Amino acid sequence: MIHFAAFLLYFCAFVLWVILLFRGARGTGALLASVLSAAAVLLHALALGEFWLTHGELPLVGPGAALSSLAFVGGVALAVMLPMREVARVAIALLPVIVLMQGAALAVGIEPAAASLDFQGAGFVLHVGLAFLGLQGLALAFAAGSLYLIQHHELKEKRLGRIFFFVPSLATLERVGRIGIWLGFTSLSLALVVGWAWTVQHRGSLEISDPKVVWAVVSWLVFLGIFGARRGRGRTEYRSALAAVVGFAVVVGLYLALRITSGGEGLFL
Amino acid sequence: MPLSVVGVSHDTAPVEVRERLAFGASEASQALLSIRREEGIQEEVLLSTCNRTEIYLFPSHAERSRSVVERVLSRKAGFSEDAVRQYLFQISGEAAVRHLFHVSTGLDSMVTGEAEIQGQVKEAYERAATLPVDPPMAGPVLNRLFQMALSVGGRVRAETPIGEGSASVASVAVELARKIFGSLQGKRILILGAGVTGELIVEALAREGIRGIVVANRTHERAVELARKHRGHAIPFEQISEALRSVDIVLSSTAAPHPVLTRSIVRDSFDKPRPHPLLIIDIAIPRDVDPAVGDEPEVFLYNVDDLRKIVDDHVQIREQALPKAAGIIESHSEEFRVWYSSLALVPVIRRMRKEARRHRDHELDRLLQGMSHLTEEDRERVREFSRRLVNKLLHQPTVRLRKGMARGGGAELVDAVRFLYGLEESDGPPPPLFRSEDSRAEVFRADEIEGNQRAGD
Repeated sequence: MIHFAAFLLYFCAFVLWVILLFRGARGTGALLASVLSAAAVLLHALALGEFWLTHGELPLVGPGAALSSLAFVGGVALAVMLPMREVARVAIALLPVIVLMQGAALAVGIEPAAASLDFQGAGFVLHVGLAFLGLQGLALAFAAGSLYLIQHHELKEKRLGRIFFFVPSLATLERVGRIGIWLGFTSLSLALVVGWAWTVQHRGSLEISDPKVVWAVVSWLVFLGIFGARRGRGRTEYRSALAAVVGFAVVVGLYLALRITSGGEGLFL
Repeated sequence: MPLSVVGVSHDTAPVEVRERLAFGASEASQALLSIRREEGIQEEVLLSTCNRTEIYLFPSHAERSRSVVERVLSRKAGFSEDAVRQYLFQISGEAAVRHLFHVSTGLDSMVTGEAEIQGQVKEAYERAATLPVDPPMAGPVLNRLFQMALSVGGRVRAETPIGEGSASVASVAVELARKIFGSLQGKRILILGAGVTGELIVEALAREGIRGIVVANRTHERAVELARKHRGHAIPFEQISEALRSVDIVLSSTAAPHPVLTRSIVRDSFDKPRPHPLLIIDIAIPRDVDPAVGDEPEVFLYNVDDLRKIVDDHVQIREQALPKAAGIIESHSEEFRVWYSSLALVPVIRRMRKEARRHRDHELDRLLQGMSHLTEEDRERVREFSRRLVNKLLHQPTVRLRKGMARGGGAELVDAVRFLYGLEESDGPPPPLFRSEDSRAEVFRADEIEGNQRAGD
């Protein structure tokens, strides 16, 4: 129930940001949208806390619970941005990602893990937490990157209308995207190292064909691709934004493909 | 309503006259003091900007106000009173209230919706309010009027797109630069051509923190001159390709008959990764920058027509906000009118309540004298009961009186109350509003009466 309320608040906050986009972010509108967004994150934290207390386990295992926690990490990133007036508007691109994740989590059911895990304890929490941070770093880069492309298009087309005024400056979006990429890359790299170290220590070898390993490695390669796009002559910011958008789409697409081909089985997300 | 505004504005006087009539802060204070000294007008606020000089006077007699302001302004400008007269406008009564609200929202500005005027109105009001004179220059009426004007300005800006977008070519250039680079602190600009055309844009960008100014001109001496003015440096015209590598903005306004910045020149300068895109503003006619330069992915090219179109679009957006802004102004003007009308009630309500208190005290004394067996606690209860009863009996008439005044009941209603309560016999004619030093206190007391009454209920 609390999970659903958080979902509704995220959705309402998103709708409010869209209204502000079309009607102009004047007066108390932006403040109200920020407050609503923050309230959604707070409620989401309560929902996850309640899950922990009720089931005696952190909501990190099983598709529904893990997706909700992943959405929450995005919510925390959003909450950090909200006090910064211009940066807060990135919410309009990040909130749909959070809404979709939380919606998907509710759709599959936010339930405790059915199977017992052999990889548990602080190492597991660290591994999953870092992986979630890595993925949300990419989601943040995607949000900033997509707004960058829109603002770039508006400037090229010489349309200084509602979108131009609402969307932050290219420099701000580039900075947010860069933070997202570095945060995401560092966290995902550490998550991979922790997971690899544990697997090698306890199982002797790493199963390369495991869908979650494939997905994590491809996600990590996507980060490398974004870094690659930032190098070279001219258009570095533009290419970086484009790479973040495409990269995020690849990661999401691969996840869906792996889930479908693995028949929806397994514990990963 | 004996309120007047007399002055000059961009609608009535050319800039040569307005600049002679512009008051600095201390000059404005002196002018206010001299009007009071010479004419005994109690409340005054002087608003002086580059587009207007207006004096708000209360209470004022239309003819007298005009001649007072004529005298003050003619002294300031060094013109004869006749010469000043032809540029003066005067608005009185409720229209003066509406005028101030139009001014504070920027609807009466040369550039509709400009934001600076809000601060200038506030400054004018605060200057009058803080002048160490008694009674204060911004007395009860102008105090309320200007407070309301500032709140109307804020509301219109918050609820309508009146201040949206930039309404001049220079401010559009700044807006564009901000949307590309965020902060302009420390950004570098290359100015092509040393004419005066781009001067406003350079000044606007410099105000935002642009620091590295590089000037290139066919005549190097003129480039050096312009660079010195903006604390930049001049380069030979042949070095512009090299300079393009390190600048963020290019402003071009040469008189060259052909493009001076071609795609190949720009491409050559992009042989290394650029930290940011390049904004090129071409305000020359014929154009200095080959339109193909705009096809370069990291270049944002705007020519003078692009900038003018943007300005026109923004002006259109602002104009769409006018009906809603006018509605807000109208409702606040009405609110002020109602408040002002209610001021005439203050002495009547005070007398009404005074009479009621007198009767209550008299009857209480009689009652309590014959009930000596009551304890002090019981006596207090009886007193409290009588207070509550009187408050309740007077509450409805007071509220109705205020409503009646708001609906335009005016003097007849006040006379009727005087007659019904027999107030005309005890008090004589009503004192004129705000003639005494206690005027401000009197208004506030009326509010207290209302507040106490609610508390009593």
